[in-house]
Parts: sequence; structure tokens; C-alpha cells
Amino acid sequence: MDLTGHQILVTGVSSGIGREIALRIHELGARIIIADENEDSLQSICSFLGSRRITQYAFGIYNDREIEPNIKKITGEQGPFSGFVHCSGTGGARPLALTKPSFFQKMMNDNCLSFIETVRCITRKGSFLNGGSIVALSSVSSIRALKSKTAYCASKAALDAAVRCLAVELSLKRIRVNSILKGWVDSDMQKDFIRNTMDLDEGEDLRRQVLGIIRTTEVANLAAFLLSNATVTITGASVLLDGGYTI
Amino acid sequence: MSGTIDFTGKQVFITGATAGIGKETAVTLSRLGAKLILLGHLEGELTDTMSILDGKGHHAVVYDLSDLAGIEPMIRELYAIRGPFDGFVHCVGIRSRRPLAMITPVIMREVINTNLGSFLELVRCISRKGNFNPGLSIVGISSISSQRGHKGVTIYAASKAGLEAAGRCLAKELATKGIRVNTVVPAQIDTPAYREFLKISGENDESPDLLSRQYLGLGQPSDVANVIAFLLGGSSRFITGSAIPVDGGFLSS
Repeated sequence: MDLTGHQILVTGVSSGIGREIALRIHELGARIIIADENEDSLQSICSFLGSRRITQYAFGIYNDREIEPNIKKITGEQGPFSGFVHCSGTGGARPLALTKPSFFQKMMNDNCLSFIETVRCITRKGSFLNGGSIVALSSVSSIRALKSKTAYCASKAALDAAVRCLAVELSLKRIRVNSILKGWVDSDMQKDFIRNTMDLDEGEDLRRQVLGIIRTTEVANLAAFLLSNATVTITGASVLLDGGYTI
Repeated sequence: MSGTIDFTGKQVFITGATAGIGKETAVTLSRLGAKLILLGHLEGELTDTMSILDGKGHHAVVYDLSDLAGIEPMIRELYAIRGPFDGFVHCVGIRSRRPLAMITPVIMREVINTNLGSFLELVRCISRKGNFNPGLSIVGISSISSQRGHKGVTIYAASKAGLEAAGRCLAKELATKGIRVNTVVPAQIDTPAYREFLKISGENDESPDLLSRQYLGLGQPSDVANVIAFLLGGSSRFITGSAIPVDGGFLSS
């Protein structure tokens, strides 16, 4: 896999997976533009990689008032993209009784609407090359029932439906749009989200993943594959990377 | 399976009851003996639907479901007047056809809040202890768009996929309370919304691609209403967390 000559935007690099994806596609030769609200995470990646083929932008990647002007600015300064990876998102277990509208709205906004808005802005005429590739980080939660994760599951299912529609709409420009349905990944284990889940007595949930925990490097490899020219005809797909969870 | 479905003595709450599938569902359930609470945002259309129902003692609520914060007090007030529910059918939905370039955050939020957010919030309130009778059955109306990609319906499709996923999770979480949750997944159905779409898009029933995959042709609202009635009744007691296609073969094609 070779991403030399590709310019790829990665949003949400403050997560373990987002960071790993950024590092991996940089290693494969891409010029990466990383964006997040968290400046420390951006700086950490830049310090690690040095200054070649990387630029950082700090802005509210979930804020619809900031996405459009910042994407305009970025494409103005950097030129057109051939790839975009959406690693941003919000997790969160919450029983139904506590799932009030504001929690649902934030979940939908962070996991789905911000993705649609970013795609809308970045695929404007001249900002995204024909034949380019868009990848969204989704989850097996999109297709399976998980207790106390109604809002989260709904937001990931919404994301995948948006991916299918965008794949059709952008096919005229031969732009591919796909999502990755990940199961439990090792970097998830640090989050409160997972600790809460385990407290909810869903330890058996991880056992459904018959091949065990997934490494972030593997998620990064799949993202890189989908971004590369190793494949040009996978589109509208929700690609399972779940260690057997959904079997 | 038992012969006729009987809803005598049962109370069913239906949103989006003023047109299309919601209206047909209301009429069907009234004929089966149910007492209905109909919710719509247009008073005139609500009154029209009320006037063609069988039986007496039905109730109408005018409310705009894009206002999520007001749902909790609205439901509380409803219970005070009407008592607990045996069924809830969510037929409200904004269709929203727009190319990507014309989608705005405001539109996205309105579609998501009305189609999906209101469903979640209504179920949250209705599933509270004391607000439902044993055997409560909930049905949401999804769409083939939830599972298939088409251009111009990105946010609508997202809202419907979210609805199906919510249905799966709610079914699992509410099972201990004896509540079932399912969605029905219709293809193109002969409703005012569909006729409006034909007008705007300049297509007609004979347009080559439009109905080609739903090889039984255009569906009727009663096709969907009958499945909803089945899902609300006891014959379907072992069906939960499902998304049931009523699609003339579309999803399999």
C-alpha cells in the first residue's frame, strides 16, 4: 500500500484510533492534515512526526459554525484533498431513563451530522479530487442491540446510512465513501465508556469477539487500504473489523 | 395464529396520524376496537382524521414533535387525562429530499429531531413505570432508505437507520418491563408524500428505476397498517428488536 502523493484530512486525532490512523497513513507516504479541538493531541502528533508532510489545525470539529469556515480555510491553504478520515466521535453508555434530548442531540451531532457537514464542505468543487476516498469510523453498535447505548447505536447507524447515500451521490466524481464497523479495540479499554459497560455486567460482550481484542494498528491498516489505490471499487460499504463479534 | 385481532379496551397512541400510513393505521385500529390518541402538528388535518374513525372516545393532541424538550410535560399531561398506553405507533416523519450541497445544519437537526429524536424521547416517557399497560408494543416506521443508498436523501436515510438501531436497543433494554419494540420498513407506498415527490421530481409510476426493485409494484397504506396491527397485538409476542420489510420485495431484490 502506498499513499505517496495523497493529501488526506484526518479529524478526531485525540482518540487512540485517530492518532494511529494519522501515523500509519503518514508512514505510507501521505501528506496529512490533522484536525481536532484538542490542541495537545495535535501537538503531540506533530512533535512525534516532525514537520514533513504534516500540518495541524485546531478548531471545533463538531461545531457546525466552525466546520465550514475552517474547511474553506484549510482547502484554500493546502489545496485539494484525495482522502478524508472521520475518526471523531463521542462514546457514552447511558440507560434510557437518563437519555434526555440534549444527550441524544450531542451524540447525533458528534457522530453523524458533523461528518455529513464536513463531507459537504470538503467535496465542494475543487476541494476534493476525483477518485478520492472518504472513510468514517463506525462500530458494530450500528447493527447490533446494546443495552444502555441507544443514542450511541442510533448515531452510528445514522452515520452508516449517510455513508451509503453519500457513496451514491459522490459516485459521479468516482469518490468512494465507506465506513469501518469496529468491534472492541484495545485503545477503547482506557475509556470510561468501556469501564461503565463492564460494570453493567456485559463482560460477555467482549467474549463474543472470538478472535479477541482488536489492535488499533489493524484499524489503521484497514483505513489505509480503503484510502489507497489498492481498491477503487469498494463504496457504500460498512466493512466489518470485529473479531467475529457480529457472527 | 388466531383469526381476528381485537383491540377492544386497548389504548393506542399514534404520531403522524394525519396522513398516509399513520392515518390508515388509525382507521384500521379504530375498526379493531382500539381507543386512540392521535398526535399531529396540523389541527385541521387531525380533525379530518378524527372524523373518519370508527367508535368513540378518541383523543387528539396538536404538537410539533421537532420540539423535544416539550415532549416530557406533554406526555405527562396526556396520562393525566387518558391513563396508560397499550400501544405506540410512531408514523411522523419529514421526508427531506436535498442534494448534499443544499443540506444545512438547521435542516439536519430538524429532520433528526422530528424523525428520530422524538421517537426516543417518547419511548423514554411512555416506558416509565405506570405509564404503560402490560404487553405494551411499540412500532416505528422506518424506510428502505435506512438500508439502501439513494442520492438526495442523506439526512432522511440517517434518521431512519437511527430509528431502526434505536428500535433494536430499546427492545433489549425494555424487555424486562415486558415491552416490545419493532420497526416496519416500507418501500414506496401510495401516500400524499409519494404523490408530491412524483410531482416535484417529474417522475411517474412508469419511470424505469423508481419501482423496479419493488417488483410487486406500488404499496398501499393498508399494507403497512395491517403489519402494524399485527405487531401491536399478542400474536406477535415473540417478535421484538426486528425491522420488518413491507416492501414488495425491494430489500431482497
